[in-house]
Amino acid sequence: MNDNIILFEIDKLCKAFADNMVLNNISTQIRQGEVVVIIGPSGSGKSTFLRSLNLLEKPTSGTIRFEGLDITAKNTDINKYRQKIGMVFQHFNLFPHMTILKNMTIAPIKLLKQSKEEAEAYAMALLTRVGLAEKANAYPNQLSGGQKQRIAIVRALCMKPEVLLFDEPTSALDPEMVGEVLEVMKGLAKDGMTMVVVTHEMGFAKEVGSRVLFIDEGMILEEDRPEAIFTQPKSDRLKNFLSKVLA
Amino acid sequence: MEAISIWISSLWENFRIEFTNNFITDHRYMYLVQGLGTTFLITLFAVIIGVALGLLVAIIRSTADRTGKLRFANWLCKVYLTIIRGTPAMVQLLIIYYVIFGSVIIDKRLVAIISFGINSGAYVAEIIRSGIMSIDGGQMEAGRSLGFTYTQTMKYIIMPQAFKNVLPALANEFIVLLKETSICGYIGLTDLTRGGDIIRSRTFSAFMPLIAIALIYLCIVMVLTACVNRLERRLRTSER
Repeated sequence: MNDNIILFEIDKLCKAFADNMVLNNISTQIRQGEVVVIIGPSGSGKSTFLRSLNLLEKPTSGTIRFEGLDITAKNTDINKYRQKIGMVFQHFNLFPHMTILKNMTIAPIKLLKQSKEEAEAYAMALLTRVGLAEKANAYPNQLSGGQKQRIAIVRALCMKPEVLLFDEPTSALDPEMVGEVLEVMKGLAKDGMTMVVVTHEMGFAKEVGSRVLFIDEGMILEEDRPEAIFTQPKSDRLKNFLSKVLA
Repeated sequence: MEAISIWISSLWENFRIEFTNNFITDHRYMYLVQGLGTTFLITLFAVIIGVALGLLVAIIRSTADRTGKLRFANWLCKVYLTIIRGTPAMVQLLIIYYVIFGSVIIDKRLVAIISFGINSGAYVAEIIRSGIMSIDGGQMEAGRSLGFTYTQTMKYIIMPQAFKNVLPALANEFIVLLKETSICGYIGLTDLTRGGDIIRSRTFSAFMPLIAIALIYLCIVMVLTACVNRLERRLRTSER
């Protein structure tokens, strides 16, 4: 474990949909600069856990602290908090009625009160970095899946977030496009961006992850460095899961 | 051969006399011109009220459906929709004129505008609501995750897309509304339809004035349709 400052402190987080307990007493910490990879079978609650971190899912009980602030408290300004947390979705969720540039600049202009020039200059720099500068004036529907996801990542970066959350960012992509998205994510990790990634890409978890959480039936069953998780799984369920996904 | 040409020229002569009698004599065409003005006036302001009301109701309804808030407002909206969509526009017009404004002196055109506006609002509300509901839930999540409030996300992200999707249905509603105003003769307003009918009652010939009214409505609707088609095409091309 490194001694960087703690960003997230999650304590006994529970989430129930009706009678269905999706998250069951999850407690963990996420430190600055960490790349936390969450793996687990489908329906295990890993996406729900990720979405709880920016309150797209409201926890049933338990607390989440971000930089010491209890974001689950009633009087917390959720919108202000969410500005600091970037989110990348499985289905990109770009805004189809806006150009790429507008997709990227609308939030910084409206929320961070940046000038149009300032926001566009930053957006263009990010676009150049992911090799999509020539798409600035295109519309999302003109792009491939891999391009859309790279845009979704830089759109989140335009808000200069402290953490990026990824909800199965490569699951909706054609296989040949997975690589280009993972490359961008690796680059971000190298730059020290704090990331929480739900993924089925075990290669990415091994290579980039600083810690892997194995979630099953709403609980963190194992939590360790990737080497330990992949080479010395302790529980039968993790062994079983790995034998399926690595086969 | 000769018989046919005589028949045609007598037909033409007949048409000329009928036309003069119905539209030129005593400046009778002014009934149509003034009636058309009234029809336009009522339609225009009813559309404005209808859109404002419809937008409000649609936002309340879809917000209630998605978030579970605004229960009471949602209930009110449902009552409004049920009553307006469950009764004929003509009955609504008569009730508003003779019952609600029965004991006050008020411009009949204003009564018609209010009545048709309230009527149209119910249909516009359901059209816009269907547009809002047709937008993928991921759009709202993406907006919220960037830090936009619910209202900001509706304004910048959901509504522009919803409007684009329902534009044809909205245009259709306005066309229906334009034609529906033809019942306002029942409260004594001289709109296009009533104007033509007055001519008929003066000249005792039904064909000319009634066909003229029909043609005028048809032309307006065709022009409106063409405008909407152009607008729609322009909005679509910007996405491809």
